[in-house]
Amino acid sequence: MPVAASLADGLREIVGADGVFTGPALAEYRLGPATPQAAVFPRDESEVSRLLRLAWEEGLGVVPWGSGGHQSLGYPPSRYDLALNLGRLDRVLEYEPADMTATAQAGIRLADLQRHLEAGRQFLPLDPPLASQATLGGILGGNLSGPLRCRYGTARDLVLGIRVAQADGTITKGGAKVVKNVTGYDITKLYLGSHGTLGVILEATFRVYPRPPAEQEWWLSTPELEAANALAVRILGSHLAPSRVEMLDDAAARACGSPVRGPGLFVSIAGVPEAIRAQANDLARMAGEFGGVATEDAAAPQTRTGLSDFPWLAPWRDGKGHGAIWRGSVLPADCARAIRAIHAAAREHTEVVVAASVAHGILRGEIRADTTEGVARGLAASREALAALGGFLIVLDAPEPVRAQVDVWGPPPDGLGLMQRLKAAFDARGILNPGRFVGQI
Amino acid sequence: MNGSDLAPETRTHLIRGCERIVGPEGVISAPDELRVYECDALTFYHRVMPDLVVLPTSTQHVADVVRLCREAGVPFLPRGAGTGLSGGATPDAGGVMIVLTRMNRILDIDVASRTATVEAGFINLWLTNAVKRHGLFYAPDPASQQACSIGGNVAENAGGPHCLKYGVTTNHVLGATVVLPDGEVLQLGGKIQDRPGYDLLGVFVGSEGTLGICTEVTVRLMPQPEAVKTLLAVFRTIEEASNAVSGIIARGIIPVAMEMLDREIIKAVEANVKAGYPLDAGAVLLIELDGPRAEIEAEAVGVEATCREYGCLELRVARTEEERALLWKGRKEAAGSVGRITHHYYLQDAVVPRSKLPTVLREIEEIGGRHGLIIANVFHAGDGNVHPLICFDLATPGDLDRAIAAGAEIMKRCIEAGGSVSGEHGIGHEKRDYLPLMYGPADLAAMQRVRAVFDPAGLCNPGKIFPADGPAGQGARNLQSPAMTAVSER
Ligand SMILES: Cc1cc2nc3c(=O)[nH]c(=O)nc-3n(C[C@H](O)[C@H](O)[C@@H](O)COP(=O)(O)OP(=O)(O)OC[C@H]3O[C@@H](n4cnc5c(N)ncnc54)[C@H](O)[C@@H]3O)c2cc1C
Ligand SMILES: Cc1cc2nc3c(=O)[nH]c(=O)nc-3n(C[C@H](O)[C@H](O)[C@H](O)COP(=O)(O)OP(=O)(O)OC[C@H]3O[C@@H](n4cnc5c(N)ncnc54)[C@H](O)[C@@H]3O)c2cc1C
Repeated sequence: MPVAASLADGLREIVGADGVFTGPALAEYRLGPATPQAAVFPRDESEVSRLLRLAWEEGLGVVPWGSGGHQSLGYPPSRYDLALNLGRLDRVLEYEPADMTATAQAGIRLADLQRHLEAGRQFLPLDPPLASQATLGGILGGNLSGPLRCRYGTARDLVLGIRVAQADGTITKGGAKVVKNVTGYDITKLYLGSHGTLGVILEATFRVYPRPPAEQEWWLSTPELEAANALAVRILGSHLAPSRVEMLDDAAARACGSPVRGPGLFVSIAGVPEAIRAQANDLARMAGEFGGVATEDAAAPQTRTGLSDFPWLAPWRDGKGHGAIWRGSVLPADCARAIRAIHAAAREHTEVVVAASVAHGILRGEIRADTTEGVARGLAASREALAALGGFLIVLDAPEPVRAQVDVWGPPPDGLGLMQRLKAAFDARGILNPGRFVGQI
Repeated sequence: MNGSDLAPETRTHLIRGCERIVGPEGVISAPDELRVYECDALTFYHRVMPDLVVLPTSTQHVADVVRLCREAGVPFLPRGAGTGLSGGATPDAGGVMIVLTRMNRILDIDVASRTATVEAGFINLWLTNAVKRHGLFYAPDPASQQACSIGGNVAENAGGPHCLKYGVTTNHVLGATVVLPDGEVLQLGGKIQDRPGYDLLGVFVGSEGTLGICTEVTVRLMPQPEAVKTLLAVFRTIEEASNAVSGIIARGIIPVAMEMLDREIIKAVEANVKAGYPLDAGAVLLIELDGPRAEIEAEAVGVEATCREYGCLELRVARTEEERALLWKGRKEAAGSVGRITHHYYLQDAVVPRSKLPTVLREIEEIGGRHGLIIANVFHAGDGNVHPLICFDLATPGDLDRAIAAGAEIMKRCIEAGGSVSGEHGIGHEKRDYLPLMYGPADLAAMQRVRAVFDPAGLCNPGKIFPADGPAGQGARNLQSPAMTAVSER
């Protein structure tokens, strides 16, 4: 659809001529079948506010855009006029190492933020997939995390305050810039993980942590998955203080560079060298109790990144072959059972790879098949297997034909009625990422 | 006082209805028995009796009572142990009080997943006691933990001395069964994590009983650390002590607790329990480290060096569990000892950036001096969560007004320093007019929208959190009004 001249003029008036993309340049902003009328690049929060005001008045569908690396997720927007690219809001606004807090704009890339915090030998302990390109806004919008969650929690635990542009352009804040605050509702939590459907995140204040002086990692190979799961539960319930405890099936372990065959754990421990040494001994002893063997990982930095990115770098994602990536949850003690059930469910027509962050019972995996139907059937069977354990599965990325056959979010969550009313209260005209999140909120 | 204008027949109808739901033994309606419920731990402030009190024993009871109130158009509010310090569990103007203390069972302890599910009236300390034998504990430990309920902790997003390292209640709650203000029962979150959808649990925690009543709570348990090290550092002045706090954090050390007691509190504590704190000190800093043994040994070296750098006069290290208990004794008994130094006090709960502690504490002292009042301090220094106790005597004419004025000045200074109105005690009734110091009309309107979604009829604990003037938030001008006479009696 050609962009109406008057709309383009209105947008240029707000963000300047170089802040509006139309025409062929919009290809990279395609979502499913939909292409927006324009992509806009505001330079500051008042421009975001004015753009939203315009969209609100005209009833335009707006998709907040970080790096766009993973906009493939969720349902396609039910209305899509503007891609609101926040990439120019990329500054660190406040950083006080002595307070261990920092405030940054939403469009900053995580990697750039980390470089900034390096000055105080601190970091934001979030390691979502593709951290080099992901933006703060995208990470918070999706409440994304990675294996480090085991020690530091998620954005939910780290974000102290937030600044948001509401659907009608009004700018509001929630929370505070101090580490403890119960003044008014903890409204920040609503925006985290709301996938841009309740407001556009402009900036956030978060806790940062000192970079540990040293870190070491091990592969713990075990005879079978059940032993790996039991060993993980043992480690997590002990006095050891690991940063990561990832359980991998044989294929995932190989994909992430394990030097030994078979399923097992990847464990990292950070701290002062003496403490790491002492914990290494305990770790080896515990592994022994479950018939496991600990091998120090020589290629640790690559392995850590590989684990964070797993399975986002799945080969079919560049368009060749059929596959899907997914995330799910079960109880920590049920991870092995879940992985077995998925292997069994998918056996017929598909290949699967699964990893689990055992501390929180989070599973993520990839599924591949010869046909679209095979992928869809594999996903459905995997979803059923997790549901039988009380868990769930959501599809993170899959080609169009697969999405046509599976509901990416799965059955509607408890409390959908309240969520719909919240959406209506925050975005009465339904302009923010309309239709993309659960229940087509 | 009974602030209610409930018609007698409506009251009778409610009493009958509640008796049918929970049985006659679970309903309190005699005025002399209701008096127990006319305030929470803010005993001197805003006393209002409920029209009746109901003590349910199941989620279904709570849902039925809520529905009954809603049909009658009568306000209701939840109450746990009543240890709240902001008037949140005191009725705004009568209505039905739903007290959760009889719902106090453990429903599930899952050692492998490190979670526990308890009813909302379960006492905080019982939880840690119940899971000790599995090598686990529940981290949030409000100083009131022997009395306060998990439901009340969820509602206030309670903190405690050990929250510096482990985080506050919201970081440990995985799920809750909630009776919404229309009587619907909803499960928020649960043992299985990260279900897609809005984080309703996250916004429920800290909502002070205004978004519904939680009846069951699932929490995360933590493994006991390998080792604990407790130190007491003695300083000449509170300023040196707070410099040490900032210095320790700036070194990248996060103790599990870092609590400060100033000269006045030391005096009170020593008069009461003899914890052995030096009477000539300006302040003592109680520092606890926990974790892998070798880790905390290394951290202790850093802590000691920092304390000495900032002029610490003496450093005691607990060598045994008994010595550790003794070092903590003064802190634990602090609230109960304040009666030794004052008749009444007005307690605040602001938070400031930790690097601003030295400046803000100096200003608090100056403000006290200017008003001719003693201000005592015992607080969660590591989090920057100050608890100035403004001492006064109701019998001295003008003292109360001076205390209120000093309190307002302190609050303004803390906010100007980039801080927040309340770190853990909640806004309730007492601090609601301070909100506009921190949030503008649009910020408050967004919060009010959440409230209206959960409670369109406005019957669930009305009159709390939001400034009396409503979302437009002109409440700041009420700061000098008698509504701010937040006073705790010893
Ligand atoms: C709907 C969805 C769900 C996802 N779920 C997961 C998951 O569960 N686990 C996982 O590891 N990865 C998930 N991803 C992938 C994740 O988005 C990428 O890992 C990360 O790179 C996102 O950062 P980005 O800058 O590329 O954001 P983008 O891909 O540009 O945006 C991600 C999402 O956040 C929204 N968004 C971006 N910026 C803002 C902002 N400032 N304010 C409000 N909303 C904003 C977008 O509209 C979009 O819905 C998900 C992505 C999407 C779109
Ligand atoms: C000596 C002393 C020391 C204290 N130390 C600390 C401390 O270190 N840290 C700290 O954070 N607090 C502290 N407090 C304050 C208080 O103990 C906490 O706020 C506690 O969480 C209140 O729990 P409660 O069960 O007494 O709740 P109540 O006082 O009964 O209620 C508090 C609020 O919660 C609501 N509520 C209660 N139960 C429910 C429920 N089931 N569902 C929904 N809403 C509910 C009420 O409506 C009210 O708004 C202290 C208090 C005292 C007296």
